[in-house]
Amino acid sequence: MSEQRETRILMISPDSKLTPDQLVRAVHAMVPEISIKETCYGCLVEGTRETVKKVVEQVRQIYRNEVFSKRRGYPQGDPRRCRAQHGTRPGFTQLEAEWECLPLIQYALNEIDAGNGAYEVPAEKKPIPVKEMKDICEAYR
Amino acid sequence: MKVFIDPPNSMVLFDLVERFGHEPLSSMAVIQEKIDNIEVDMPPMNVTLDDVVRGLKYAGVEVPSGIRGRMSLWGPMIEAADAAIIIDNAPFSFGCVGCDRSNELTKYLIHRRGIPALTVKYPTDEAEAKIMVGQIKDFLGGLKQ
Repeated sequence: MSEQRETRILMISPDSKLTPDQLVRAVHAMVPEISIKETCYGCLVEGTRETVKKVVEQVRQIYRNEVFSKRRGYPQGDPRRCRAQHGTRPGFTQLEAEWECLPLIQYALNEIDAGNGAYEVPAEKKPIPVKEMKDICEAYR
Repeated sequence: MKVFIDPPNSMVLFDLVERFGHEPLSSMAVIQEKIDNIEVDMPPMNVTLDDVVRGLKYAGVEVPSGIRGRMSLWGPMIEAADAAIIIDNAPFSFGCVGCDRSNELTKYLIHRRGIPALTVKYPTDEAEAKIMVGQIKDFLGGLKQ
């Protein structure tokens, strides 16, 4: 894997009161030698792997369950992807769909942090066995 | 431990796996390698001859080239993975940017390797979200180094 560059998407959960502008200002103050681009959903952060790792760790400490992140293959403002230069965004449907369910993930993480993480997995619905089905049919014939 | 995520570009899974202390294996890393090193414009839609040959290890020659192209990227990650997390109901991974056959083949390869795998669903309400995140946390917590 390339060790030279790492680009990260930082996405703010729709339930958070944090704005992309506030996030960008906070990230700028975290570490030197990092490139940041403000976007509608949060920001893109680019730097060496170690620098970006430090940023993600600090972002998780400050905005614990409000900001989510993932790597991005393309660099910031890449003409093949940047909307300003009519680039295509084939991965955006995935991002958009997951952005909608971030408040639910945020809620679940908050509950786990608060110690209310207990959950019950609903029983899996299985098709009725043929013999049982036959008996039911026979009984009500 | 290395955890393969499916859909391979899922932000929710990438974030949760990293948050709970493991290394996610995602499509973004392999795509970055292609972009940085061999300057392929749009992987996995643009592939090299080597990718097509590599894809033959996971899908037969009669299989459409799109599936082989995808498998040439996902396949080595599945081989390198120590565990996997799959989200089952991801409708947006099917369509012009997704491929249902590749998804099926990915799930098949994961199960054939016999690595620990967790299948969850995207939540539609808070109770389901708690189940999904709780299951992922317990699964990742149970993985031994």
